[in-house]
Amino acid sequence: MNIPQEAATQIIDVARMGAGIGAGIVGIGVGIGIGKIGAAANEGIARQPEATADIRGISIILAALIEGVCLIGVVVSIMIVLGIGT
Amino acid sequence: MKYLRPGLILAIIALPIWVAMNHVPHHQASSPIETLYLHLMPANLMTSDAMAHDDHDDHDGHDDHAGETEEEHAAHADDHDASHGSDDYLLAFTLPGVSGIFDMDKDPVMEGTQLVATNLQLFQLAAVLLLLVCLQGVPGYLRTGKGDYTSRLFAGFTLWIRNEVVYPVMGQETGRKFLPLFFFMFFFILFMNMLGLLPWSATATANVWVTGALAVITLASMLICGMVAQGPIAYWKNLVPDAPLALWPLLFLVEVLGVLIKPLALCIRLFANMTGGHLAVLSIMGLIFVFGEMSSTVGYGVAPIAVGFTVFVMIIEFFVAMLQAFIFTQLSVIFVQASVHPDH
Repeated sequence: MNIPQEAATQIIDVARMGAGIGAGIVGIGVGIGIGKIGAAANEGIARQPEATADIRGISIILAALIEGVCLIGVVVSIMIVLGIGT
Repeated sequence: MKYLRPGLILAIIALPIWVAMNHVPHHQASSPIETLYLHLMPANLMTSDAMAHDDHDDHDGHDDHAGETEEEHAAHADDHDASHGSDDYLLAFTLPGVSGIFDMDKDPVMEGTQLVATNLQLFQLAAVLLLLVCLQGVPGYLRTGKGDYTSRLFAGFTLWIRNEVVYPVMGQETGRKFLPLFFFMFFFILFMNMLGLLPWSATATANVWVTGALAVITLASMLICGMVAQGPIAYWKNLVPDAPLALWPLLFLVEVLGVLIKPLALCIRLFANMTGGHLAVLSIMGLIFVFGEMSSTVGYGVAPIAVGFTVFVMIIEFFVAMLQAFIFTQLSVIFVQASVHPDH
């Protein structure tokens, strides 16, 4: 199958779009997760304002952990786009 | 004498920036966004003569690259960097005979592994020296109550790490033995992250090898201290919780993978956070050039918006720098504690 050069680069560009879609889908999960943490934190602080400092500390740690998962997904997408794994 | 410490700190910060300004060659690539992205790669330090040559030679016409595909563009961009011989490096060291993935010389003629000083090494050295200078007066201040502003500031940080990060997880007896390691880890990562926010600097932690080395420190602490505390065979036996004998091989495999993957996640988390911040800033600045190629008025119009957004992203990056240092240290504390005193 002879694919002319322009079509080949277009195919490769559209294939790289998959990496972008992947990075976006990871963001959906992270958004939901950190949103739930935020909701639980706000509710906890509303019920017991004395625990604000503890709740704030734990919320930040958990949010950073979930953010780490998102960024691992982004790193995978960058590796696909740059062709590091091929 | 009162200004010795702050002066020393400013000198330790300013000297690598000055060296990086004068000894890092200009990046050249085919498109402005690619040129911006090249700032994320570690740059070999060149001697001053090589820098003078570099400035004269960079006027080849870039228009002959117009009709090529992306792979050939990338190859030509590599050509610009690889035209320097190995005598042009500021500090290079050759390991004879062994050639492998650590070879930083793109010149295949020189055999063996060539290790070249990059601008990352400058900032790692600066972070270590900064650590030594800043934490110097802290024990004296904690014992006698007398110390200058730097001692009091870093005494505050140090007490916070000891009382809120290490001791709650490890307890006092185990925590005391591991405190030097975690102080080093926190302040080293913090200073490297912060130094990357200054102009003309490079973020050492935005490189997979540097964060990988830090993760290897955590992994080695987990394995070695776990095996010393529990005994070499008992450590591996205690990895798996109580389980029926039939499931034991599978659970053992899963737990061993867990031991390896936890520091790997630490490595990638720190690397991706640092690189992602800089990538966002460089992309926004690249937008100015992308719009500028359409028409220069649009370029001028986009510039204030882009710069404003960049300032906002850098404020977030400042917070992320401190947060990621804290997260790395906190998770390392938890992992080492789980190795030394497993609860099953």
